[in-house]
Amino acid sequence: MLIQNPISGQLVFPILECFHIAGFALSIGMTALVDFRLLGLGLRDETPAEIAGSGLWWVLGGLVVAVFSGFLIFSTDPDSYYLNWVFDVKMVCLVLAIVFNYTIHRKVVSPGASPAAGRWVAVASLALWLSVVFGGIFIASFQPPYK
Amino acid sequence: MLLSLAIWVQNLEFFAYLRGSSYTFPTILALHLCAISLFGAMIVATDLRLLGWAFRRSSIAAVVNQLRIPKRIGFLLAATCGFLLFCSKAEDYYYNIFFRIKISLFILVAVHALVFRASVYNKPAELDGPSGAPVRAKLAAGLSLCLWVSILCAGRAIGYVGVHAGEYRHFN
Repeated sequence: MLIQNPISGQLVFPILECFHIAGFALSIGMTALVDFRLLGLGLRDETPAEIAGSGLWWVLGGLVVAVFSGFLIFSTDPDSYYLNWVFDVKMVCLVLAIVFNYTIHRKVVSPGASPAAGRWVAVASLALWLSVVFGGIFIASFQPPYK
Repeated sequence: MLLSLAIWVQNLEFFAYLRGSSYTFPTILALHLCAISLFGAMIVATDLRLLGWAFRRSSIAAVVNQLRIPKRIGFLLAATCGFLLFCSKAEDYYYNIFFRIKISLFILVAVHALVFRASVYNKPAELDGPSGAPVRAKLAAGLSLCLWVSILCAGRAIGYVGVHAGEYRHFN
């Protein structure tokens, strides 16, 4: 256990959560700017490639902060996360979202890609990332009773 | 007066249901965070452009003008979810020091808008120049980032005071 449980009154847990939220909000939101553009909303004067290029390092930075703080949050009570099926679902969604983001999403954003494909990829991207957020919240709603 | 209003609100049938619900409350909380993610980044994108740290190939005017309406829609979504969460536990929130801090920070956001809207956000075309945005625009962007990050932290801290931390975290 790297960090004490929050019930013992440690300040570090809420601070980690703030980093976690700020990190994922930055990376998901910057990705969403590209997705909204693929759907014809928001920054319409820019190409999807330009928005993605500008957001590249902010997305990656936010992701690194969110994953690292998330790992520390996990380490406060690993067995309860391990036993929680919502946590498993969240991790699957997270891995899918990251892989999707750096493969199919990246391809569709590049210049010359089909706008029709772009719309479906944008919807899939938004759905994947937001399901990770939902997973994070619902971990607390399904505490394993057998712990 | 405010306290009795808070107690009245949270005893309305819908909010009493919301308070005790296993899934509706966390669903609204998750929507609150989704709205924060999607539209918080629009605030960040605007501010980063003003600071010259991102979207440098687009003009300031393009970024500020195109994100103005989406930002407002996003704020409305996040605020609506937040208002529902507040109403379901209004009495706790009334006493909660971090909720009071968060509301005070929103008042500062309004002050920020009063100070900078006329000279920065409503005149983005005048901010584009070879040497980047003028100091007042960068100041507005920096303060905006600080305010919103503080609001995020205060919002997260609300869940940690008042009731026993462990029990409260279960819902927050």
